[in-house]
Amino acid sequence: MGLSRFDYYAPETIGDACELAGKLGEGTMFMAGGTDLLIKAKRRLLNVSAVIDIKKIKELNKITFDEKEGLVIGSTVTLTEIENHPLIKEKYPAIADAAAATANVQIRNMASAAGNLCNAAPSAENAPVLLAMGANVTVEGRDGKRIIPLDKFFTGPGQTVLKQGELLTAINVPVPPKGAGTSYQHISARGKVDISSVCVGAMLVMKGDICEDARIFLGAVAPTPMMAKNAQELLKGKKITEELLQTAGIEASKECKPITDMRASKEYRTLMVAVLTGRAIDESRRRAAK
Amino acid sequence: MDKYDIIGKSVPRNHTKDKATGAAQYTDDIKLPGMLHGRILRSPYAHARILNIDTSRAEALAGVKCVITGNDLPDIKFGNWRLFTETQDETGLARDRVRFIGDEVAAVAAIDKDIAEEALSLIRVEYEELPASFDIDTSLGKGAPIIHDPFKNNISVVRKVANGDLDKAFSECDYIREDVFNVHAISACYLEPCSSLAKCDPDGKITLWTSTQTPYMVQCLLASALGMRENDIRVIKPHVGGGFGAKMELRKWDVCAAFMAKKTGKPVKFTLTREEELATGRRRHPMRLFSKVGCKKDGTLVAKDLKILLDGGAYNAMGPTATFLCGNFGLMLYKYKSYRFLGQHVYTNNPPSSAIRGFGSPQSYFATETQMNLIAEDLGIDPIEIRRMNAVKTGDVIPELSTIGSCAFSECLDKVIEVSGYHEKRKNPKKGRGIGIGCYSFISGGVFNWFNTQYPFSAAEIRAFADGTVHLLTMASDIGQGSDTILPQILAEELGLKMEDIRITSADTATTPQADLGSWGSRVTLMAGNAVIDAAKKLKEILFGAVTAHYNLNVIHELECKDGRIFSQVRPDKGLTFGQAVALAQKFNRGVPIVTRGSYTPRGMGMVTPAFSFGAQVAEVEVDEKTGRVEVKKMWTAHDCGTVLNPVSVEGQLEGSIHMGLGYVLSEQFAMEKGKTLNTTFLDYKMPSALDMPVSESICIETYEKEGPYGAKEAGEGLVGPTAPAIADAVYNAVGYRCMDMPITPEKVLKGKKDSLN
Repeated sequence: MGLSRFDYYAPETIGDACELAGKLGEGTMFMAGGTDLLIKAKRRLLNVSAVIDIKKIKELNKITFDEKEGLVIGSTVTLTEIENHPLIKEKYPAIADAAAATANVQIRNMASAAGNLCNAAPSAENAPVLLAMGANVTVEGRDGKRIIPLDKFFTGPGQTVLKQGELLTAINVPVPPKGAGTSYQHISARGKVDISSVCVGAMLVMKGDICEDARIFLGAVAPTPMMAKNAQELLKGKKITEELLQTAGIEASKECKPITDMRASKEYRTLMVAVLTGRAIDESRRRAAK
Repeated sequence: MDKYDIIGKSVPRNHTKDKATGAAQYTDDIKLPGMLHGRILRSPYAHARILNIDTSRAEALAGVKCVITGNDLPDIKFGNWRLFTETQDETGLARDRVRFIGDEVAAVAAIDKDIAEEALSLIRVEYEELPASFDIDTSLGKGAPIIHDPFKNNISVVRKVANGDLDKAFSECDYIREDVFNVHAISACYLEPCSSLAKCDPDGKITLWTSTQTPYMVQCLLASALGMRENDIRVIKPHVGGGFGAKMELRKWDVCAAFMAKKTGKPVKFTLTREEELATGRRRHPMRLFSKVGCKKDGTLVAKDLKILLDGGAYNAMGPTATFLCGNFGLMLYKYKSYRFLGQHVYTNNPPSSAIRGFGSPQSYFATETQMNLIAEDLGIDPIEIRRMNAVKTGDVIPELSTIGSCAFSECLDKVIEVSGYHEKRKNPKKGRGIGIGCYSFISGGVFNWFNTQYPFSAAEIRAFADGTVHLLTMASDIGQGSDTILPQILAEELGLKMEDIRITSADTATTPQADLGSWGSRVTLMAGNAVIDAAKKLKEILFGAVTAHYNLNVIHELECKDGRIFSQVRPDKGLTFGQAVALAQKFNRGVPIVTRGSYTPRGMGMVTPAFSFGAQVAEVEVDEKTGRVEVKKMWTAHDCGTVLNPVSVEGQLEGSIHMGLGYVLSEQFAMEKGKTLNTTFLDYKMPSALDMPVSESICIETYEKEGPYGAKEAGEGLVGPTAPAIADAVYNAVGYRCMDMPITPEKVLKGKKDSLN
């Protein structure tokens, strides 16, 4: 199927973009890298009548950090920029890891983390770590701005709480608590350049050997990225031992709701949730100790 | 290697700059004025009768110029096995029945692709669904649907080989082992999807540009499919982005493009999408191999009884050749007192299987080599030793089929074991690590003339010019393997010229000499190379005569071409430049152009191949025992490809083979649901990426093959054979999971691993 015919706009301010989207209505899509949108449009999985390219909006294309507000990733920032950003690598290494594990070099050079979230694939590589770190997204529309916790953002495969005409402008990640360590773990059939069949993001807050807080999110094992609540609870207040991280992994595997598809069977996904959760806890703990 | 000036040197490919800069023209890059774009309507059913096709709404769509169905085309069947017409089972479009999901039903040509695509959705086809078979068991079972009427049991080709007294041989054995192996389908994954562009001149003659490995075969078969004369069709092969065996037939879009160009008077182009390629394109044959092998206590092989069922899919394609060759691969590596083979090519309603790098050998060697490792383990013999003691060697006769002209198999084994540290690593295993071996022998082109060509197997023509240059014309097809480099390289050596002195025109049936069977079966370097040498020798006779006359040399003087000069070996000062010699020779003939022709056809070489290559490969893997994932850490290869004509080119072939072998054994497979392919993009068809490639080290054991140009033989295709069994053996060595059913997946590893190992 060929690409459907659509009108193309490239406004230079957020206000103009939102105004335009409100005016054009149904069938209007915002586009950053276009790596998901254009393929979906070409396969006619989306009915696209207008595309608003947001790459000309300068304020969306920046990464900022301060000790109070934390990290802000604008919605046109590419995965390559995230992967290579010195500050993200230092303070939010698992965010850089997840960005680096997404698709291939050419796609990372075009695609944005924000777009990865808006596409809302159950396997979205960048979601679990951001969720584990308690990220919010800033959303703007003709009627104003709202902040949405990321764990309230996804509603189903390809579905989010975004309303027609609303633009995700930034991803906000709080300053990691003292003693925090993070990890991103993933597995797929091919190897190094592939979509994940299971992925896990974790953040542990450690005080010495003791885990004070834990957040673990699983990808590709439910209709949306999901919290491994029982596994988290199991870790809190405890000393992380080899045995505990295995138990927590098994707990997480009991919570997940995977399906069998051509990327992996339900049984294998369940097993891998246990393994990868264990590894994510382990790496988070090690990183916290550094 | 100093006896040669340019042979044995890593001469860079002459298309490198074109391809790196994007200047190289592939079929889809060619745009002709007024050109129409074609699209194909495919069957949504695996097996159905076509009751009616209504194309009226599609024809009425603005921009649509031509719509055809099977009934518009001549009722003529085609297929590559012209010697056996009953195997020819395809028509340009389905006539009354469709046999797989994706079978071509109708074609549309329109002023742009989108309109053509839209027109497809307006064609109404009434089908009556028929029972379908998606595996060989169903096809061979009672009450199976008959997929092609002439073959009531769904077996379209049977191949038998029988040497010696099998029962007696088995009765002499101390040990007998029977195994069943299952191997799966993969895609060739050439980066250029199939494309063809046809133009019809006002006089009705057709020119077809097509991404093919075999322009001459396409020419002949297209002529017969359209009821035309061969010479009224010109087939040109532009740059081709890989074929691997899956582009060696006349394809339906070739027929449609030519027919529609004739009908509309406008050029018509078809280019497939990747989705079409993965869902409906040619695949490597899935096979079930029953192998019974008997040997003495000490490991000496005595008897082998091999039965193979090939899932051919809906049409024969190159299946007959794969069936034929499997019978040979079963006994090419080791000696048996008695050998029996039964190969049966079975129709199913899956997308057609065909040739894909190795032509049946990757499947065969997966079974042979895995079984050798099993036997060695059972008998407590070193896996290398059991191979060495049974290895074929130079001069061995394969009964009724061939004599092995050169063979360094044992040397390959010794070398690969040494460089990989195989024994040391087996003795001191590391946790999760394993090392394994696989071997192969392959053909340097086939002898069996199933295409029934009346021309030489390969031909060359050389035109010489007074400016010291030559023009080489050959129908050999460079599809990325590098024949447009290696053939000029051979000619440069023969004539003492530089690469830049040689212009090459290749693979155009109207201008290059009759004929060449194309690029497949690793035939080109040996066969077309010999044709080039033949033509060069004839040219040298002419030029040597001119120089001899010019200097009034005694006729016993031997002359030589070197560094752009032609001179007497004993009196090097008596010589002319190449160009002067050409000018002189031409004047002697009062201006008649200096043109020589050469050819090659294997004769008296048995029925298999003029020359055999050999090799051994060791793989080291690391298995993640928790996830079951296998990472290949390193591959070592020692192979005998005769004289190495171009080392970097051979190395490139080897890397490509490892890449394909790696995908075959570890990640590539089709997700099928009742004949429907679910993974139709590279997102979910898991071809390994460059980052997944292991480090590789290779050694060429040079032999001299007297039938090959400068002693060269096959390099690179056969090498895809040992990779799967070597990796599978390494996985077994690491975690105790022995793969009998390809591919190796993490799930199978987790289920099959034994915790006690390493």
